[in-house]
Amino acid sequence: MQINKTNDNDKLTIALEGRLDTLTAPQLDAEIQGKLDGVKSLVFDFKKLDYISSAGLRILLMAQKIMNKQGSMVVKNASSAIKEIFEVTGFCDILTIE
Amino acid sequence: MGFNFRGLAFKQSLMILAAITIVFGMIFGIMSYKTQEMLNRMTVENGEETSRANVNYIDKLFNAGKVVGEDLATKISEHSMSKEELDDFLLQSLFNARSLIPQVVAVVVAYEPGMGPENTEGEYMRLARFDHVDTKLVSGANYQDKEWYYSVRDGKTSRWQEPFIGEFVPEPIAVYTVPLFKKDKNGEDMLIGVLAVDMSIEFLKDEVGSIPVSNSGFALITTTKNVAVAYPKSLAEGKRNRDIIVREKRGQKQVEFDRKGRDSSGLFIGTVAGGEESAIYYTTIHSTNWTFMVVWPIQKYLEDQSLMRQLFLILSLGGYGIILVIILLISFRVAKPLKDLAIAARKLGRGNFDVAIPKITGHDEVAEFAWAFSNMLTELKDNIEKQKDMKRIERELDLARNIQLSMLPGEEREENSDDDRHELAPFLLPAKEVGGDFYDFFKIDNDHLCVVIGDVSGKGVAAALFMMVARIILRTMTKNLKSISEAFNKTNYALAKRNRLNMFVTVWAGIIDLRTGHIDFASAGHNPPVLRHKDGTAEFIPSKSSVVMAAMEDTIYKQQSYDLQPGDTLFLYTDGVTEATNSNNVLFGDNRLLEIIRKGGEQSPADTCALVKKEIDNFVQDVPQFDDITMLAVKFNGIDEPVWERYEKTIDVSDNGKSHALKTFVEDILTPMDGAKKMQMQDAWERYEKIVDVIPENQDILTAFVEGILAPMEGSMKSQMQINIAIDEIYSNIVKFSGATEVTLIVEIRKATLSARLTFIDNGKPYDPIKQADPDITLPAEEREVGGLGIFIVKKTMDSVCYRRNGDKNELAITKTL
Repeated sequence: MQINKTNDNDKLTIALEGRLDTLTAPQLDAEIQGKLDGVKSLVFDFKKLDYISSAGLRILLMAQKIMNKQGSMVVKNASSAIKEIFEVTGFCDILTIE
Repeated sequence: MGFNFRGLAFKQSLMILAAITIVFGMIFGIMSYKTQEMLNRMTVENGEETSRANVNYIDKLFNAGKVVGEDLATKISEHSMSKEELDDFLLQSLFNARSLIPQVVAVVVAYEPGMGPENTEGEYMRLARFDHVDTKLVSGANYQDKEWYYSVRDGKTSRWQEPFIGEFVPEPIAVYTVPLFKKDKNGEDMLIGVLAVDMSIEFLKDEVGSIPVSNSGFALITTTKNVAVAYPKSLAEGKRNRDIIVREKRGQKQVEFDRKGRDSSGLFIGTVAGGEESAIYYTTIHSTNWTFMVVWPIQKYLEDQSLMRQLFLILSLGGYGIILVIILLISFRVAKPLKDLAIAARKLGRGNFDVAIPKITGHDEVAEFAWAFSNMLTELKDNIEKQKDMKRIERELDLARNIQLSMLPGEEREENSDDDRHELAPFLLPAKEVGGDFYDFFKIDNDHLCVVIGDVSGKGVAAALFMMVARIILRTMTKNLKSISEAFNKTNYALAKRNRLNMFVTVWAGIIDLRTGHIDFASAGHNPPVLRHKDGTAEFIPSKSSVVMAAMEDTIYKQQSYDLQPGDTLFLYTDGVTEATNSNNVLFGDNRLLEIIRKGGEQSPADTCALVKKEIDNFVQDVPQFDDITMLAVKFNGIDEPVWERYEKTIDVSDNGKSHALKTFVEDILTPMDGAKKMQMQDAWERYEKIVDVIPENQDILTAFVEGILAPMEGSMKSQMQINIAIDEIYSNIVKFSGATEVTLIVEIRKATLSARLTFIDNGKPYDPIKQADPDITLPAEEREVGGLGIFIVKKTMDSVCYRRNGDKNELAITKTL
């Protein structure tokens, strides 16, 4: 999995490419954990993400909890298959999906 | 290049020099001895020559004196004379004697007391003397105690007295004394007196002084008592006679020379009157028993000798030097090229094959050696190059063989062709050279097993390549066409089409229906397999062979068939088995093979192959294996009990809306069974299995494994993704919670219905994920937990999920329609 981070003042965009699963989730975790200080707006770009497993969902949930306190978080360009996962797991209710 | 003291040149030179030194030494010694001897002889000859005339002359004189003395004594003894008569006689005698011998200076008669003429009382002595002017008569007295008198009186014999200066003759004289006898009354001789003839020896001095002696030598005369009586004047200066003593050198000592006990003449080294060391020749003057000597100062004498020695030494040293130079030249001529060759050899030893061999011209042994050495270098170089090539080729052939062998399936598990209805074992022992033998086995579908054995003509890389191509084409064709004769036709066509090397391959292959034992087979010029029946009989399967493959493009292979009975074993082999040859050139042969399989055929296929191999080994003994030995044995067990396929689905009975799922599930399973047998064959589930150790990274392996199986089915991307997620969730659960060490994933697919079934079997602690409560997915983010979410996703996205504890294993199966 590839992680591309783009910083624009207090806006952070994270574009993911490949699979976000048990094996790759720790990478994303490391990129986010303790590195969201001062970020007001967090954007996940899932345009090139193939799929997401529960391990990935866990990271999203964690990020969402942080951003609830200091700003906002948006998930963009998710495929229908990923959206279905969000739906099945009720994540569509907690995430802002565009 | 320094001089090598241990070199050949030095050793050789040293040895030759040593030998030459010894030879020179011997020559020198012998020469010295000979020279000495010659010089001695020459000296003696010289001495003899010098002395002979003088000694003769002196002898003659003294002999004459003696004769005179004897004559006078006889006359006096015979005639009794008066005093007057005696005086006259003496005068007359002196005169006569002097006319004969001028050196006679006196004639003397002395009587015993009372025995004189005219019976004179007491002593009577008369002496006639010549005093260089005239002759006188003198009387003498007191002679009784004079040596010249008493020595004769007591000895009663004539003798020469030691010279002395006379009482009446004042010069050195030699006196010859004769006893005078007279017959007494009894007629016996009675001594009456002594007659003496005095001879002046002054002349000797003149005589001796005038003898010419070469090499500064001189002559010398000594008396019986070693008193010098004649010698050159030069020697006499300041010395008295008694000082002129001749000494002989005895070692370091000088002893007075004494002729007693020596030869009458000879040579010795000594001194005269304490003078310088001389070589002295002596000889005897017999008349007086005196000694005549010729003396050469040794300096002069030795000069000759040392001159000879020096000459010889100079010649020797000159020769020595010349020989040394020649030896060194020869040695270096030999050693230098050898040394150069040794340097070249050392370089060569270190692997430098471009070393320049020193050019050595000529036809001697060294040149020959250099030529041989240079030859050796060239040949060695060629040889090593050749060996390098051989090694490289051998390595590559080994590699080729390894690739070739590794491409053949080793065991049934690898091919996923194992089931209870048959047992199968291959065997291939390659000969040293890469060969073209091959076997193959694979399942066309669940119930049809294809077995193949073949042998490509020839050996080497070409045969190996051809064999690989033939095997792959035949395998692909058989799998696609599902007909052995069709597969043979197509494979033959493909191989024959471009076969410029005119290779060919013999093949025997058959497709066994594992349900019935029916086998359809074809043979392209290959030996018919052995068939061993359950009852212990064995035979070659009735097989009609067509032409070998790759020979002609349009060969049509005839399909033949046979029905195997449960318990039958089919034994395929190549001619490496039947044509194994022992040292007597006897072939192993068909009958021997039939016999072995008849006897040992009830064993498992693997044991049967091993048995045949053992029998071949026993047969050929230590004859090296020439051809590949390839075998494949397959035993048809038959269907002892029906094979049940198991399907499971868990449905939620509380939800009426979903009850149709059970019906669909059962229909899906049963529908194919209603169709034609062929349909069923084609629709059968394909089964794949993967076993991995439980570590997180192996998830990728499982995912790739499943994707590889599902991709050709061309299902939807979404289904594929969901299956991947399911693998992720289930496997990560096993990793995290089960404590299992090994996970087996069985993937079964059915193309007809696009169905896939994944079964995860792990050896962890009992865990049923389905029993987990579903998470509440309605809570706000802050209250959400991620636990249980994974399995929840799986349940939601898969068609079915079921769990069972099977023995000590967890089995979790999911199904999904792609």
